[in-house]
Amino acid sequence: MPAHPLRVAVVCSSNQNRSMEAHNILSKRGFDVRSFGTGTHVKLPGPAPDKPNIFDFKTTYEQMYNDLVRKDKELYTQNGILHMLDRNKRIKTRPERFQSCKEQFDLVITCEERVYDQVLEDLNSREQESLQPVHVINVDIQDNHEEATLGAFLICELCQCIQHTDDMENEMDELLQEFEEKSHRPFLHTVCFY
Amino acid sequence: MHCSGVILAHSSTESSTLETHGSVASQFSSNEKDTAFDMTTSEKVVELLNQAALISTEEKLIVLKQVQELIINKDPSLLDNFLDEIIAFQTDKSIEVRKFVIGFIEEACKRDNELLLRLIANLNMLMRDESVNVVKKAILTLTQLYKVALQVSFSVSDMQEPCWDMVTQMKEDVLALLDSDNDGVRTHAIKFTESLIITLSPRTHDSDTPKKQEGDISLDKIPKDHTYIRYDTLCEEGKLALEQLLKFMVHPAISSINLTTALGSLATLARQRPMFMSEVVQAYETLHANLPPTLAKSQVSSVRKNLKLHLVSVLKHPSSVDFQGQISTLLLDLGMSQSEITRCTPATVQPRKRLHHEPYVEGKRIKMEATLVEDDDDKEEPAPVVTPKPSSSAGTQSSIDLTAEFLLPLLNPENVANLVLISMVYLPEVMPASFQSTYTPVESAGTDAQIKHLARLMATQMTAAGLGPGLELCKARDEEVKEEDGGAGESSSKDPLIIRKLSAVSLGQAISVVGAQLAAYKSPVTEEAPQIKKLPEPILPTTQPKAPGASGRKKVFKLADVVQPFSEAQIEKLANMAIKRILQSEKAIAQSGKSHVRVKLLARLVTQFEDGKKNYLLQFILEDMRGRSELAFSLLFHEYNEYLSQQPSGSLDSYEHCLFTLLSGLQEKPEQRDGLFTKLVLEAPVITDSALEVIQCYCEDESRVYLGMSTLKELILKRPSRQYQYLNVLLNLSSHEKEKVRSTALSFIKRMYEKEHLKDCIEKFALTYMQFLVHPNPPSLLFGAGEDTEVAAPWTEETVRQCLYLYLSLLPLNHRLVHELAAVYTEAIADIKRSVLRVIEQPIRGMGMSSPDLLLLVEDCPKGAETLVTRCLHILTDKVPPSPELAERVRDLYHKRVPDVRFLIPVINGLEKNEVIQALPKLIKLNPIVVKEVFNRLLGTQHSEGSSSMSPLTPGELLIALHNIDSSKCDMKSIIKATNLCFGEKNVYTSEVLAVVMQQLMEQTPLPILLMRTVIQSLSMYPRLAGFVMNILARLILKQVWKYPKVWEGFVKCCQRTKPQSYNVLLQLPPPQLASVFERCPEMREPLLQHVHSFTPHQQALIPASIMAVLEANSRKPEPEPQAELHHPEIIEEREVCCDETEVATDLFFSFVMYIQV
Repeated sequence: MPAHPLRVAVVCSSNQNRSMEAHNILSKRGFDVRSFGTGTHVKLPGPAPDKPNIFDFKTTYEQMYNDLVRKDKELYTQNGILHMLDRNKRIKTRPERFQSCKEQFDLVITCEERVYDQVLEDLNSREQESLQPVHVINVDIQDNHEEATLGAFLICELCQCIQHTDDMENEMDELLQEFEEKSHRPFLHTVCFY
Repeated sequence: MHCSGVILAHSSTESSTLETHGSVASQFSSNEKDTAFDMTTSEKVVELLNQAALISTEEKLIVLKQVQELIINKDPSLLDNFLDEIIAFQTDKSIEVRKFVIGFIEEACKRDNELLLRLIANLNMLMRDESVNVVKKAILTLTQLYKVALQVSFSVSDMQEPCWDMVTQMKEDVLALLDSDNDGVRTHAIKFTESLIITLSPRTHDSDTPKKQEGDISLDKIPKDHTYIRYDTLCEEGKLALEQLLKFMVHPAISSINLTTALGSLATLARQRPMFMSEVVQAYETLHANLPPTLAKSQVSSVRKNLKLHLVSVLKHPSSVDFQGQISTLLLDLGMSQSEITRCTPATVQPRKRLHHEPYVEGKRIKMEATLVEDDDDKEEPAPVVTPKPSSSAGTQSSIDLTAEFLLPLLNPENVANLVLISMVYLPEVMPASFQSTYTPVESAGTDAQIKHLARLMATQMTAAGLGPGLELCKARDEEVKEEDGGAGESSSKDPLIIRKLSAVSLGQAISVVGAQLAAYKSPVTEEAPQIKKLPEPILPTTQPKAPGASGRKKVFKLADVVQPFSEAQIEKLANMAIKRILQSEKAIAQSGKSHVRVKLLARLVTQFEDGKKNYLLQFILEDMRGRSELAFSLLFHEYNEYLSQQPSGSLDSYEHCLFTLLSGLQEKPEQRDGLFTKLVLEAPVITDSALEVIQCYCEDESRVYLGMSTLKELILKRPSRQYQYLNVLLNLSSHEKEKVRSTALSFIKRMYEKEHLKDCIEKFALTYMQFLVHPNPPSLLFGAGEDTEVAAPWTEETVRQCLYLYLSLLPLNHRLVHELAAVYTEAIADIKRSVLRVIEQPIRGMGMSSPDLLLLVEDCPKGAETLVTRCLHILTDKVPPSPELAERVRDLYHKRVPDVRFLIPVINGLEKNEVIQALPKLIKLNPIVVKEVFNRLLGTQHSEGSSSMSPLTPGELLIALHNIDSSKCDMKSIIKATNLCFGEKNVYTSEVLAVVMQQLMEQTPLPILLMRTVIQSLSMYPRLAGFVMNILARLILKQVWKYPKVWEGFVKCCQRTKPQSYNVLLQLPPPQLASVFERCPEMREPLLQHVHSFTPHQQALIPASIMAVLEANSRKPEPEPQAELHHPEIIEEREVCCDETEVATDLFFSFVMYIQV
């Protein structure tokens, strides 16, 4: 569908790391992209694995940033969280929850299977109206900075390939098969309707 | 309509403005903004539409969307006015604009349903658009507008019938698109089908209808007395659509997206139309047991995930209660835990439901679902107890159910064990992807539930395979239903191709579900049947049975149906293309390191084909011969192999063609230094005649002659079986007209000549050629085979040479051959002889004078070969002095057989002094040029140095010998000429040499006749010898020179020339001789007298009176006295000049020395 730019949503659980990394890269490449989380809360690593920092989706990245600086600047500088938040706040104000967004997309890319399930559940629970199809693809990405960067590039490549197809729906299957072979990871793929 | 006139008028003024301003659209629109406030909506729309016609696609879309907003939402009264203007954009070349028009149609029709009448045709047109994206959009819109069409059919009058017909036709078209080639189009068709089924089926109290679709029309709202829309037809259409959808789902090659879509559609159907619950659940079961084999591993996961999701959503619907067992089993298989399943199951009993409700909200499930469940529950309130459907009776039991029931008691441990053992045999080697991902360990093995499940699974498979008691029962039941219900189920049961079950069964069930309603409206069917025929397009009855038939046909794949043999030309073309691709994959394959496979493949392939492909391959090779040499060799060997395999009848043509093309192709390339040509020739299994010709061409090409001939040489040496053939090529080239070719060939042959086994052949060839010379005319062979020269052509220098090149180059290697030349020479005509003499110089010189064969030739000197021998002698001695052996042979020849003095000339320096002197008279009589040659040799004035030392005669001796030649043997003239030659060599005959010569000659007695001539000559050459000459003269007086008349004459002449020095000499003459002098030269007397007078008196006194008398007398009485005064001079001499011989010599010597010093 070269005529109009692909409307893409990238979804992870907290709309912090993986989805934002991809959001960053995709918007630089000129995609009409938005990013979301599917979790009930935004969770960021805390001082111990069992003590995460929990925010709700209304909290801005700026506020999170200030909060963490106040709590332990050194720790959060060292593990890259502050850097990430700083990047995020330059992209948009606050994290967004996928379930609360009513905008229609052509393509939703999720970053782990659990998120994929949640997205599917949400889309299927919506009342169908326009029957406009939306393709949902899951690309498994581990939730750390390095994997997020690599994953973002993979997502970007995938989007570029899809954008360049003449007839996205007809070629999607084949394209994904190719990508699976190339990247050695399976992609879950389905179609939902608005 | 009235507005179009305004637009036209407006646009004409605007376009003129545009022209004058030359402005761009943006400028134009900014102008617009200024005035926008005052404009009415209508005017604004006009402006925008005018803009839209002129601007780019993106801007056009923005502008058109503004228009749409204005006329649909802001001021719908304008909609009708501008409809045509907007619809006009449906032919726009931009896909997006066309899609916009579709969207506009949808919006407009939704806003004003009656517009559909005007717009449906346009939508129909757009549905046939070339772009799939436009088609898909059109399908989506039709999905919405179908309901509108149905709605509008009731509210408006009869004139809409054609419109409805068209909608119906379009509906059929979309259903047919389930078989489209395009995945996306099929997806949209599925969604359309879903919506269609919902619309064409009645909403019931347990329907789970989305809020926004509350107002949508459905079958239950359709009046049963409409003129042309018949309730039962629609109902039937709906069921057929469902059937089509179900059939579509069991297609073995369904794509994962289509499958996902269909799964979702089924779930929607089950929830919105619970009457289809049974079909849906069965379809899920079948699918789960028979996942399409075409799905990839990840697609299987995706599909299973979807299946799970949709099963849960179906399960949550209260009407699923009858199917909970089946759904739970499926969900368990899909990996869901029992507790989760229980949580999603709506309670059939009120209190239990409440109990389940609490933990559900607290659980991890998101709220949305919880509220959804609540909604369902609320709806359920009016009918609190959901009683089982009438399906429990045998009449509605599916064949699967029946078969499962039949199987259940049979599944005892023994039978099961046997089944397992038998099926072990059929297990595939590798676990299939779908099994791997779907397998979950059996939790409850051996329990009743599990056995039931197993029975059901088997029943599903059996039914799918067309087996089992259930199927038979159902068939029988179908028959009954059909009998009861006319043609309703006809189409489905007619379909024998569908083995995958469902069709017959599900239809049967569907009918039974709605059976009551059908029965209720039976009468309108029969009543309106004739009316259908009146309609302009009675599409329904004919097309409906067709559609499933068509789709069914496609589902069974037979290779023979879709494949037909290619035509010859196609095969040819495809083969060519395939080979081309292999050829072009050169680099890629090289990188993979498998080029040897490619080379082999190509060679094998191409050798089996006709010339076309071979030539193509050959051309390909020649494009980069160096890089593709491996391919070239491989091809060549394969060709040869092919030839060998066809022995003995095989033809070498193909091989020859290949070799020839490669070789001549190489020849056309600029020179290569990589020796590819040589390699190719040497490695070729056989050198064919045409290949040999190419090699010959190489040899004849001056720039490649060396390459060609060295290749040829290799061939000769390394291919003994045909070496004479190759040698012959080389030999023929030895007389080639091009000098370079010839000389290279000769040098190669000379090397070959060293090989014993080739020697004879080469020699024979050379001699044969030389033998041509005895023919009166050159043979045509010499002019090349092609030239048709008349036989009578005369010998030319060139042709003679041609015959001799090879021979002459062999001569220095084999001296024996020289005798052959002599033999030919004697027989040849004069012209040839001349030519031969000219060309033999080099080889003869090469042989050298020590060659025994040459000496033998000189010794034998065949008759008629004298000139040849002479020439040889000349050549041999030209630069080098003759050897004694040679001189000996020549001397012998001269003395014994051929007394021609000319033989001696070449070896003259090898002869004895006396021999030379003896031969001199003969020699100087020869042609002046030859004489000159002789003198050159004797005097060492030849070109080369060192030979003079070998001369048997010194220059002085030579001159003296000339003086002493007996005039009887030779005429004086020749002698004088010979001496003149000597005097000509001023470098040799220096004044010293001449002085010695004169001295010796003067001492001879008798004096040589030419003495005084030589003296005078010397004097004129060297005037400074005058003093020496005076002494000579004085000495001659003593030798009474006057007694030799010739000499005396010369004496006088000399005195005459040397006056005044000669005065003193004259005064020494006896008076008679002095008088004789004066007689000859009277003019000398007076000066001599004057001379004497100039003497001092004392000196005068010394002059005898007799002399004075001669001086003073006027020649009166000279004769009587001379004798008497003879003594005086002698006396004088004794006094003044030392008489002693030795003293004179010394004196001479001194004066000579003095002369040198001057």
